[in-house]
Amino acid sequence: MTFKLIQAILVIILLCNITYAVGQESTASLSLSPQICITADVEQSCEIELVLNWETPYPQVVCIMSDHSDLEKWCADSPNTHSLTLKVETQKDIQFVMIDKQSHQTLAGVKLKVTPTAAPQVRRRYRNPWSLF
Amino acid sequence: MKNKLLTSLLTTLLLSFAIQAEEQKACHLDDECVEVGQWQLGLALGYGERSNPVRDYDDIPIYLAPTLAYYGDSWFFDNGNLGYTLAEKELFSLNLTTSFSSDSAYFYRWDPSNIFISGTSQLSSAPALTTRFQAFGAEPEPVFNELEDRKFTLLGGAEAFIYTPMGIINLALAHDLFDVHSGMEAKVKWLYNLTLSDWKFEVAAVANWKSEEIINYYYGVRPSENAYWSERYHAGSGTNLGLELTTQYMMTEHWDLLFLVRYTDLADEIVASPLVTESYTNTYFIGTAYRF
Repeated sequence: MTFKLIQAILVIILLCNITYAVGQESTASLSLSPQICITADVEQSCEIELVLNWETPYPQVVCIMSDHSDLEKWCADSPNTHSLTLKVETQKDIQFVMIDKQSHQTLAGVKLKVTPTAAPQVRRRYRNPWSLF
Repeated sequence: MKNKLLTSLLTTLLLSFAIQAEEQKACHLDDECVEVGQWQLGLALGYGERSNPVRDYDDIPIYLAPTLAYYGDSWFFDNGNLGYTLAEKELFSLNLTTSFSSDSAYFYRWDPSNIFISGTSQLSSAPALTTRFQAFGAEPEPVFNELEDRKFTLLGGAEAFIYTPMGIINLALAHDLFDVHSGMEAKVKWLYNLTLSDWKFEVAAVANWKSEEIINYYYGVRPSENAYWSERYHAGSGTNLGLELTTQYMMTEHWDLLFLVRYTDLADEIVASPLVTESYTNTYFIGTAYRF
């Protein structure tokens, strides 16, 4: 009985936390355009111009970071800046994160997906088709 | 000797041509590549002939020939042969594979090399059993009773393909899998593919070494066939030299015009057999091919 009670309390605490987190996320938003880059081949790089747009519930100076080694951390000059245009070259997905410049608190995130076209998988054929002759 | 010289000369010419030609193309679906997990099926209709160097056996007419292949991620089946790819890199491939030689096809109608080939490779007429006149001191004209079976067998071994700007080098070593003759074969083949608009050409030069066991099994004489020659002829190992040209003209997505020529200069050890009357074999075919 005691165990069930503890379990119920823990569930309530977890739910409260999730509600709080969702509430926090909804306060700032970050969007990316385009979100997907399609390459002709698995080995081919994606060269693309990206536009990041964001909104914050109150004026905040934000910084944009990513897990792409060629992109350095970028910070806005003023709270009135709400977009950033980037040129990137990548073979892998890039995760962008927006943080508050002063508190370093994570405000929002967005991901660029890199996908090769679904070309059929092929192999070398080891015999001339007419090798039976 | 003259044929060997001609073969060597043509090989040199082909190699020179290859050096001047542009670099080999990468693997393309509509070229020398196949889609993984899909059956490749085709049928060629036309007319051709494979010459039969064996005494009293007919040349083999060709009206129809199939092509059938299936490639999985590692396993493959291609025109009757089963293989497993150990390594497939940009510059080389290594396979374990089965293969069959063309020697049994001269004796056996339903040899895989004769699939769908019309006609028969049996004796064209009764062997000349009567004694023939011969010049004094000359080797007696071979006369044979009905030949015993020369069975078909599968060979198993390893093969490598090396991709170079000058074409593909194919090396293969295989051994009899069913102890029919317990022989071995080795092959060195050079292939070059060239695509010019709707035309596709494949030229190849091949040296095919056959062990003593293989040559004796197929071209040796059994005592029941001719007692004298069964004692007289004992072959060693030998090497066939060949040139091949396959030309395809792509009329539509599925229909091709097909023209091919194969020329094989038989090893001296085979030509020395009293069962063999020619020093070479050739195959030609002209027709249309439909790929499903």
